[in-house]
Amino acid sequence: MITNASVVIIGGGIIGTSIAFNLAKLGVKDVAVFEKSYISSGSTGRCGGGIRQQWTSPMNVRLAMRSVELFKRFKEDVGMDIEYYQGGYLLLAYSEEEMADFEKNVEMQKKEGLDVELITPRQIHLKFPFMNLEGVIGGTWCPSDGHANPQIANIAYAMAIKKMGIDLNTHTKVEGIDVQNGNIVGVQTTKGYVKTGVVINAAGGFSHEVGKMVGIDIPTHSERHQILVTEGINHVLDPMVISFKKNYYVRQTMHGSFVMGQSDKNPALGNDLGHTVEFLEEMAPKMVHDFPFMNHLHIVRQWSGAYNVSPDAQPIIDEANDVSRFIFAVGFSGHGFMLAPAVGEAVAEMVVYGTSKTMDVSNLKMNRFKRQINKEKNVV
Amino acid sequence: MKVYQSAIVGGGPAGMMAAITLAKHDVKSVILDENENIGGQLVKQTHKFFGDHAHYASTRGFEIAQKLESEILKNEKIKVENNATVIGIYPNNTIVYVKDGKEHKIQAKKLLIATGAMEKQLPFVNSDLPGVYGAGAVQTLMNEYGIMPGKRFLIVGSGNIGLILAYQLIQAGVEVRAIVEALGRIGGYEVHANKIKRLGVPILLNHTVVKAIGDESVKGAVIAKVDDKFRTIAGTQREVVVDTIAISVGLTPLTELAEQAGCEVKFIPELGGYVPIRNERMKTTNEDVFIAGDLSSIEEATTAMIEGKIAALEMAREINNIDVEDEINDELKTLALFRSGPKSVKIRTGLEKMGIKTPIIAKPVINEEKKDIVGKLRAVLECDEEIPCNSCEASCPFGAIHIGENLNSTPVLDATKCTGCATCVNACPGLAIFVMKEDVKEGMVTLGIPYELLPLPQKGQKMWGLGKEGNYVCDVTVEKIVKYPNKTNIVYARLPIEFKDSVRHFAFPKKESPIVCRCEEVSLERIEKVIDEGVTDFEELKRLTRVTMGPCGGKNCKLVVLGILSRKTGIPISELSHGTSRPPVKPVEFSVFEKGGDER
Repeated sequence: MITNASVVIIGGGIIGTSIAFNLAKLGVKDVAVFEKSYISSGSTGRCGGGIRQQWTSPMNVRLAMRSVELFKRFKEDVGMDIEYYQGGYLLLAYSEEEMADFEKNVEMQKKEGLDVELITPRQIHLKFPFMNLEGVIGGTWCPSDGHANPQIANIAYAMAIKKMGIDLNTHTKVEGIDVQNGNIVGVQTTKGYVKTGVVINAAGGFSHEVGKMVGIDIPTHSERHQILVTEGINHVLDPMVISFKKNYYVRQTMHGSFVMGQSDKNPALGNDLGHTVEFLEEMAPKMVHDFPFMNHLHIVRQWSGAYNVSPDAQPIIDEANDVSRFIFAVGFSGHGFMLAPAVGEAVAEMVVYGTSKTMDVSNLKMNRFKRQINKEKNVV
Repeated sequence: MKVYQSAIVGGGPAGMMAAITLAKHDVKSVILDENENIGGQLVKQTHKFFGDHAHYASTRGFEIAQKLESEILKNEKIKVENNATVIGIYPNNTIVYVKDGKEHKIQAKKLLIATGAMEKQLPFVNSDLPGVYGAGAVQTLMNEYGIMPGKRFLIVGSGNIGLILAYQLIQAGVEVRAIVEALGRIGGYEVHANKIKRLGVPILLNHTVVKAIGDESVKGAVIAKVDDKFRTIAGTQREVVVDTIAISVGLTPLTELAEQAGCEVKFIPELGGYVPIRNERMKTTNEDVFIAGDLSSIEEATTAMIEGKIAALEMAREINNIDVEDEINDELKTLALFRSGPKSVKIRTGLEKMGIKTPIIAKPVINEEKKDIVGKLRAVLECDEEIPCNSCEASCPFGAIHIGENLNSTPVLDATKCTGCATCVNACPGLAIFVMKEDVKEGMVTLGIPYELLPLPQKGQKMWGLGKEGNYVCDVTVEKIVKYPNKTNIVYARLPIEFKDSVRHFAFPKKESPIVCRCEEVSLERIEKVIDEGVTDFEELKRLTRVTMGPCGGKNCKLVVLGILSRKTGIPISELSHGTSRPPVKPVEFSVFEKGGDER
């Protein structure tokens, strides 16, 4: 562990390691990353792995589109095959009202340059004849959406930054941030003290707690989302399929297994990572209904992870006003993995240049909540 | 025409034992046997026999045959007619046989028919292709004539014959791809099954062969799952590449000669099909005709010999009018003891249908476990099924193994008396006894296993420690090899203490890296490569390679992976993180949750 770092990153998840990777690419290598457990132990390693650009907020669409560009070259850039597959995203609509929303979204998304289109039940049936589309009146389809293995992506970043000379410390917990006269001077960890002038809060589920270390009240909270995986079978399902109405997402991994989840009606708050049998009882009937071939598919494992939720379900990317050089990239509300390459790029640029250059992320600042809250709707 | 006091048709274990017993009671006999040598099926049995020490337990089948044959050949009261094919039994106990191309006729006062059994056939598509054999035929070719009919076998049927055949094939250097068993459980003894499982042969339950593939000869087989009525389940068919299919789906008694001799038969499936009706003392409905061995009920050589003895004693009593009641009762008791275990329930049921009750003299008991002494060189008994065998108890020079009156009871070890001499390891026909001595300080264990394969390893050699299902567990170092005259040698090797209960076979390392995680097909090489790349956290290793992430949830390989990680990093297993257990513990279908919980 180094004792002097120009930047300390708290959190070795996909956001933290992506920021470190981009810092190293910009030539900043005396960086220390602290991960309290192992790589991919937090929300990254627990997520569904979807990479989607179909959002209701233009900012999310732009961030996601930039991420897709970077995911496409991930293997060359970062050095590992992360099972990235552009199999598309299919969003299902069940009511005229939902369809009307979808139409508005598609119009906006097209304006942002996304290859998205409305799709009829007949067209869905022709593409995916194994689906039971009872009740579906339409949907949206974006072929450049896709998915990847989030755990491998996280470990890929981790291995890459270690090779690039960055000091990655797993099983090392940050105990406090040393602030003197409004300036950060160091970070105390379970493995020792490191002097630094810049701290990045990429603590995912623990972003609020890390903010408190410097006296900043970040409006994020964590809630539990459950997920399961099945045995692997031959490849049948290209896209991630989402139904907001029925409350599920499902995709088939390159390994052949199906990964799927939902939002619990009253999700457990905090970082409780337990699981319930009710989750299986709720998932099973709706999955078997929409995908009848799953009836005899075996569930292999269930687990859960924390969504770190912000008031508008969009990320908060900002730098503190009262404490010098405390930067945070938090509150991803369940879609941090898919945005990580673009966020890493933007935050690294903020550190080096004072502001992000590749794309403007200024409307993700925390003060937006003082004006009004425009909630991102496309969240499962 | 030559008239004998008694004639025996069939020189297998029952016939041989009967001839010896008759001679002992001053009755002359002739054995008519169609083979070049007497011995019957024993001559091709290279495995050690189970049973009572008094009845040749721990002795290999062909050696039992040799012992009995030499006793018979030097006994002047017994005449042996080899290469004699009995073609019929005619009135007045006239037996007609062909020898040297000529008809021969003899008569006898009393007859023992011990013609044994033949293998049942199994109909499937292309079952007439060259390359489809009965298991007995393979044994004859291999063990009597030294001819190997194939290189890659599928065995159909997991009774003792199928299991033993698989073991013998592997000893001969042949690959056994799988054993398929239509029932939901293994037919033969557990210890026989364990022997081949740890050599890596899968036993596929609820499976059968549906087709042999090939034009001129067998090139493969189609196997499939079956339901409880043995119907093939559609969509479960798959091909296995084999050049030989050995069928061992049971035996059926050869009753023809008995029927010609006027013995009434009855169809009793539990005994193997049509069997001659007989009384407790092996006498049929024909006053002069007795039977013994597989002809009376499909069982095994030990009981065949006892039946031969009982039949002979009763014949001698009638011929010479002597009192052998005590001897007969002793043998009946021995037979009843043999049959008192759970594995003999079929025989007992079958005999009851014939009106013969098998008295339960003493119920087999699960003997109470005794305290183990970790760190002492001692035997480890892994014989948990109630089978009629007490060779370990009988072989132990120190009285450290207890079975008790009923030889179907399971053995227990008194570790305080055990010296680790390994005599029992060598004697056990099931290869179910091992020796071990832990070196707790070093975190290692020395494990001695019975080893009946060639070539033998060398001292100091690195080998793979294989688990109970032939899976790679860890590397081991051979410490010593102890050779025994009965060819059950013992190989001692050193391995990490964590694997003392999982490693049960040592195999020479293969070029191809062993599969550690069988669910996700992850090899040792891949795991080691990822560790070498710097991933030393089990959790990360797991996510990168998928080890332990398959349907078994790591139940099979997690400890093995931790062992590899420990070996590579020098961190003891106890200090490594080992992941989190998550439901479901066993994979469940979505349909299980169809109704969505009990309240709906």
